Amino acid sequence: MEGGVATNQRFPKIKIREIKDDYLKFELRETDASMANALRRVMIAEVPTIAIDLVEIEVNSSVLNDEFISHRLGLIPLTSDRAMGMRFSRDCDACDGDGQCEHCSVEFHLDVRCDQDQTLDVTSADLMSTDPSVLPVDVAAKSNSSAYDASENRGIIIVKLRRGQELRLRAIARKGIGKDHAKWSPAATVTFMYEPEIRINEEMMESLSIDEKRSWIESSPTKVFDIDPNTQQVVVTDPEAYTYDEEVIKKAEAMGKPGLVEIEAKEDSFIFTVESTGAIKASKLVVNAIEVLKQKLDAVRLSDDTVEADDQFGELGVHMRGG
Amino acid sequence: MISLAPQLCRMDTLLYLLVYPQRPLLTTRTIELVGYDKLGAGQNATVAVMSYSGYDIEDAIVMNKASLDRGFGRCIVMKKSSAMCQNYGNGIMDRIIRPPRTGRQAERMQILDDDGLASPGETIRPNDIYINKQSPSVKLSGGSSAGLPDSAYKPSIQTFKGSKGETAVVDRVALTSDDELNIRFKFIMRQVRRPEVGDKFSSRHGQKGVCGTIISQEDFPFSERGICPDLIMNPHGFPSRMTIGKMIELLGGKAGVSCGRFHYGSAFGEPSGHADKVEDISETLVKNGFSYSGKDIIYSGITGCPLQAYIFMGPIYYQKLKHMVLDKMHARARGPRVQLTRQPTEGRSRDGGLRLGEMERDCLIAYGASMLLFERLMLSSDPFEVQVCRVCGLLGYYNHKLKTRVCSTCKNGDNISTMKLPYACKLLFQELQSMNVVPRLKLAEA
Repeated sequence: MEGGVATNQRFPKIKIREIKDDYLKFELRETDASMANALRRVMIAEVPTIAIDLVEIEVNSSVLNDEFISHRLGLIPLTSDRAMGMRFSRDCDACDGDGQCEHCSVEFHLDVRCDQDQTLDVTSADLMSTDPSVLPVDVAAKSNSSAYDASENRGIIIVKLRRGQELRLRAIARKGIGKDHAKWSPAATVTFMYEPEIRINEEMMESLSIDEKRSWIESSPTKVFDIDPNTQQVVVTDPEAYTYDEEVIKKAEAMGKPGLVEIEAKEDSFIFTVESTGAIKASKLVVNAIEVLKQKLDAVRLSDDTVEADDQFGELGVHMRGG
Repeated sequence: MISLAPQLCRMDTLLYLLVYPQRPLLTTRTIELVGYDKLGAGQNATVAVMSYSGYDIEDAIVMNKASLDRGFGRCIVMKKSSAMCQNYGNGIMDRIIRPPRTGRQAERMQILDDDGLASPGETIRPNDIYINKQSPSVKLSGGSSAGLPDSAYKPSIQTFKGSKGETAVVDRVALTSDDELNIRFKFIMRQVRRPEVGDKFSSRHGQKGVCGTIISQEDFPFSERGICPDLIMNPHGFPSRMTIGKMIELLGGKAGVSCGRFHYGSAFGEPSGHADKVEDISETLVKNGFSYSGKDIIYSGITGCPLQAYIFMGPIYYQKLKHMVLDKMHARARGPRVQLTRQPTEGRSRDGGLRLGEMERDCLIAYGASMLLFERLMLSSDPFEVQVCRVCGLLGYYNHKLKTRVCSTCKNGDNISTMKLPYACKLLFQELQSMNVVPRLKLAEA
């Protein structure tokens, strides 16, 4: 860095633990809570997906009213791999926002009528998409994998119809973000924890009898410690199961052995758990979140305000523009 | 299961329905015996008992925007408006006619069908006409109503009332008639409402509170399991109310969701051994990896740092109460006045003013804000110009024809002063005079 200013730039590392289509567990190291939290927040609120936003109901003789059905339709997750490249309908210049435009919207049709005596479930499978890449997630999953058990999946129920009832509508799905409405949030669960560092005072531990050890281990609501069957020593089996409840510390104190175990949260290591709604893959969710975060930083860095405010920011302004 | 069907067939004056009702996770034996758990009066909200943002003081609750987006606390409001097509005998009746499609009233009659009645499924806005009715101006003349000319009818339309921007949907229309052959038209207007700031919620322990603020999910605290509360309640609600039941409900509910069995929260563990005791619940919690106390480590959604304290968090059955701001909010600048006193009307339904009462008046007097008092109590209320006779002290009048001021007691206009006083004051003087009490004004130089 010019001027000999010490930089606090860090190079965070990611290690993927477990990866599935809708589940991802990874470690984020060598960064701090602000970065980890920014990533979490962006995943929940700012990664775009596609969801039904406009519903035009032609016929609805079902028991649920139009608003009810529209709300339910909105909450159906749609496969949104295209979302990052799509335009928001508010700043789409190819159309006037009526949803007939391929750049910003996808049209769905639903036309179901019950003509039998049993109740008929209207499900997400009845939604006909005009774009094969944007489908309700359960429909997409059914068509993609052969191993998928179709009998188990009945689809996302929208409404039930009895004989003579009918539902016919046109719906327009648009790109959006979770900040505007939760239906656009691709994240079912995004959370992180600080990685715990557990140090057992071996000397003090050895002074405990086997029964004492056992009762101490059992004081933890989660299974963090265990006894090695061979050596009869207490070992840490799963440090991440520890929930910072401090039960074991309290137990040690109650047993008259304060300092038996020391547990600290590592300030710079985070274990993320990401579950996706299925709109985009969990891995893609993280990548898109980083992309969105970068775009946001670029917006700050490249805005005229920051150039104008160079005097104010000084070194920082140059740094922000990558100087 | 109690069927909802009759509610949707009846024409109730007012009906509130929850969009996604749930069965409570924690019940008591009595609740089951009464069948209250099958009524679906609320939702199991994950509640964090903590302080957040300051918008949760005085029993207010902080709500998660994502939960609201997903349907928490959403409700359907059905209101009935009715109109009567009266039969005056002699074959004379009110009539409903086809609405004009052009002209001054056309816009307000958009939602009317050709039969002159609002059609189901139409969106109705305030001041829209929902029935295009006309009444005969002369109701006693003989002959049949078919013989009456159009000029004999005057419009008696009915409009949808509501504050600006508050739209509803015509849900159903029903026609009924009685012995006198009057036809009654009933319209059910439907609204779907999502909770907003000021809506009232309550748990089953009388712990009611309004929604103080709505905060987006990313700002909400979360646990390392990924649990994010739907609702934040301030812990100050507990010590003075001593609602131990609510805490037990939270514990029982939490144990219920983690082990997959509905729990019973009957008080004192009940001799038959039916209820779940707190000790047993705690054991279940520990078995499922929670702290025995029901408290969790929570991370701040804003900073990402763990909170200093352990947070008591779990599901509590919350009910939405019918007191919603939409039905209550009211403000007015100018507006209607009462005919008798010429003061602003009272109450929201009459677009009334907000009263500066006696106690408020006392405060202003104590503060010495005389000009403000004058403005509130007279200028903004019922100012009235009177002519006062300086000799007899009674009220005179202004003769607009002769452009002179006259005192009707002294029979001249020599010593008349003009001044302003509240109309209510003038009214009082005249009422006193009617009782043979003479109030006389003694004027001094201002």
